[in-house]
Amino acid sequence: MKNILSILTIFVLLIGCSSPKEKEIIISTNQWIGYAPLFYAYDKGYLKKLNIKIINSVSLAEAADIYRVGKADMVTTTQHEYHSLMESTGDIKPIILLDRSNGGDMVLSNKSVEALLKSKNIKAYLEVDSINKEILEDFIANNTLKLKNFTIINKDQQQIQGIRYTSKEPMVIVTYSPYNISLQKRGFVEIASTKNIDSIIVIDALCAKEELLKNDKHRLIQLKKILDKSIDEIQRNPKLSHQIVSKYISNMSYSDYLESLKNIKWINKPSKKLINFISRYDYTEETLLIK
Amino acid sequence: MKKISIKRFTTLILILIAVWNFAIFYYFYSKTKTTIDILIKENIQTEALHLNHFLTKNFNPDQIDEIASQIDNFVLINKTITDIHIFNEQDRIIYNASKMYEDEPIDNHSCTSIKNIMKSDLLKIPCYTFKIKYYKKLDAHYYTVHIYLNKQYISNTKNKEALHILYMFLITTILLIFVIFFIIQKYVTHPLEGLRRYAYYSEYPPLAFVIKEFESIRYSLEMTFKRLKSEQENLYQLSTRDSLTGLYNRLSLQEKITWLISTSHRTDESFAVIYLDLDNFKNINDFKGHNFGDKILQNIATILLHTIRDNDMAARIGGDEFVILLPNVENEEKIHEIAQRIKLKLSQPLIIDENHYSVTASMGITLYPKDGDNFHTLLKNADIAMYKSKALGKNNYYFFTDSLNADVQKKINMERLIQSALENSYFELFYQPKVDIQTNKIVSCEALIRLIDPIEGIISPDKFIPIAEENGLIVPIGEWVIKEACNQIKKWEQTQLSNIKISVNVSGIQLEEKSFFNVLKNCIKDINISKLDIELTESVLISDFNIKLELLHKIKELGITLSLDDFGTGYSSISYLKRIPYDTLKIDKSFIDNIKENELFLNMIITIANTLELDIVAEGVETQEQLAYLKDLNCDMYQGYLCSKPLPAYQFEKLFYDCKSNQNNS
Repeated sequence: MKNILSILTIFVLLIGCSSPKEKEIIISTNQWIGYAPLFYAYDKGYLKKLNIKIINSVSLAEAADIYRVGKADMVTTTQHEYHSLMESTGDIKPIILLDRSNGGDMVLSNKSVEALLKSKNIKAYLEVDSINKEILEDFIANNTLKLKNFTIINKDQQQIQGIRYTSKEPMVIVTYSPYNISLQKRGFVEIASTKNIDSIIVIDALCAKEELLKNDKHRLIQLKKILDKSIDEIQRNPKLSHQIVSKYISNMSYSDYLESLKNIKWINKPSKKLINFISRYDYTEETLLIK
Repeated sequence: MKKISIKRFTTLILILIAVWNFAIFYYFYSKTKTTIDILIKENIQTEALHLNHFLTKNFNPDQIDEIASQIDNFVLINKTITDIHIFNEQDRIIYNASKMYEDEPIDNHSCTSIKNIMKSDLLKIPCYTFKIKYYKKLDAHYYTVHIYLNKQYISNTKNKEALHILYMFLITTILLIFVIFFIIQKYVTHPLEGLRRYAYYSEYPPLAFVIKEFESIRYSLEMTFKRLKSEQENLYQLSTRDSLTGLYNRLSLQEKITWLISTSHRTDESFAVIYLDLDNFKNINDFKGHNFGDKILQNIATILLHTIRDNDMAARIGGDEFVILLPNVENEEKIHEIAQRIKLKLSQPLIIDENHYSVTASMGITLYPKDGDNFHTLLKNADIAMYKSKALGKNNYYFFTDSLNADVQKKINMERLIQSALENSYFELFYQPKVDIQTNKIVSCEALIRLIDPIEGIISPDKFIPIAEENGLIVPIGEWVIKEACNQIKKWEQTQLSNIKISVNVSGIQLEEKSFFNVLKNCIKDINISKLDIELTESVLISDFNIKLELLHKIKELGITLSLDDFGTGYSSISYLKRIPYDTLKIDKSFIDNIKENELFLNMIITIANTLELDIVAEGVETQEQLAYLKDLNCDMYQGYLCSKPLPAYQFEKLFYDCKSNQNNS
């Protein structure tokens, strides 16, 4: 009887002593090479320790929608989605800077810029509700093209992959890595990219609800460290990282993977200058986890 | 500590189980409610997300009718959603799934952002909202979507699940309680009740139990009761049977007779009790030893058992006392027949240790209800009848009668009176003078005891002395007589009666009493011993002659004289006269009454007495003629009514003085 009582007491104490499980954090993201550290950390199980899961979408817009309806606590965004979500939800804060596009976002066309200048009816395929919009606006402005000459066709990148075209009608496609690869293989040529556009920097960051930043900052700091570590490992061993993350980014080949990596720059440890620059996009030091 | 029954204990445990179950139910109920809530919210979230995707890709405010049916289907398919409204940037409704409200103003305050759905209360929030963008060229235009929930459905879904859980809880709890109750009843309560009943009544042992501990108790009880029953039977045997003969004992006999009496009350049937006592059994024990006596008793028991009828009962109630109970006695002839048969069987010689031995028995018979209406009376009266049978010569049987009872009652009354007389000094000594025939002077006297009953008056010794001798009261009476006589001698010492010798009668029983000599010695301490004479009859010395002779010599040595009373009526052995140191010989009154006819014998007696130098006293002298004869025969003294009847002391003194005065005057 005494033994039974002792076992029961220990059992009750153990139950009483066990700490409650931390609330799950869901990150809504999409298939962008710049988010490879997230996939890498997730696949390696680093995120599991922090009870963090990811939802991978086709486009940034869909990822943002998931966040918008409250099905995710964090979301990967460019400044476009960041502002869009700020406008529609009023509850989003940039937390961790991941990368900036360095050629990763681009404008493809079946015509040269000069030919486009002469055209009165140019079809422009893009995800309007994304950074594509800002890229196209910047492209039109930088090349003295006229918006009125463009027919805007709002498609997501998956849909854009399947469009039919003839070489006669001028077309412009605003896309980003890795969706550019198949399009370029079909004959589209890069006529502008973030590599050579100085007027715009595409910032990819991980944003979160304000409440999460307030109540769970410790986990976010841990997440930042994990992402830093993942970026290091990706840089040090791209082959291994490709094996790990390729399934999250449309089974991209290793060569395409290496090529895509070249189109981004990691800004997880940003310079002061960059921070100052991106402040114009409402990325402030107050919320960003820099170290 | 308050004690509770196992049923109550079980009920308490079941209540605890029910409470525990209720707590579990409540936990799961809350959990289920929360889970259902979360699932519904997630479902709404997902639906909102799909709607968002759909609208983002397909929404065109100018062509809204093209997607209206799809939005309507969206509402129809999703039971949790009851309506969807879309508002333009001017907050005017442009689409309503259930009805078109053109130009209706938006009420944004009552709707909650869809992203807060997880924190909100579904039943309190009227609608959830999110924004969609529509691009004209590259310019974004924001439209608001309101999703209205089907609260009735949500509430019903929740309640339905709650009811399911409640039913499940109730059914499982009730079933569980019934099952536990049944199990406890079957395997604990009933066995315990069975054990309790078995322990209390020690009958009808319960069947083997499943639970080991109960079975162990049941088995232990069974073993204990078996042992107790065996011991009880042994004890009953010991308590109801006579250990020597195996016959019933007194207690059993009493029970049986009491039972027969109660039965006979209803049936008016009679029964008989035969009290059987072996004749002279004491002698058997004395001469043959107790072992032999026991064998005799065992043989007698066997004979009785073989002689009586099947439904008769034989019991041994004392040393050699047996009782035979004869139920259903139709008439006295039957009793005679059985008594005769017993007598006949007992009279046949017994073979004990290869020796033939004959015993006889005396029987007294009583009949219920004639001779007694209870055990004690029936047995007592049978005993009386048995004594009567013995008195009539033994080896026979005698029926109890009323006259026999009257005699016995008389005897009992006399015994009581004697006892009372001893305690209350109803006894008195009367003195009858002994007169010197030659001088005609009173020279001595015989002290004769009288019982003076306050009611009846004087009771003569022949009425109470035999009874006193029978029951042993003669011993204290005899002591009283000696003490009283000695006191009288002492009183007379300083008077003219100082020379008067007093004779007291001593019975054989008194003489056999071991303390007699010491009592006598104590009594004579303060008197002139020569003034005391002891009268003994011839029969006193018949038994234990040598012992008594020795005692008489010792008495003589004290200086007390001895008189042989009633000479001529008994054995009248001359050799006895020679050996016993008598001083006086008293000729019995029967010789004096017919003195002429007995002259020769009287002459012979006087001659022998003179030869042996004994004084002679003639008893019962009533006439002058008798006195003249005695004088001629040279008799020394006489005693009788001629001189005086026995008188109280003061009258005797008066007589003495009168006689003396007369003599002096003459």
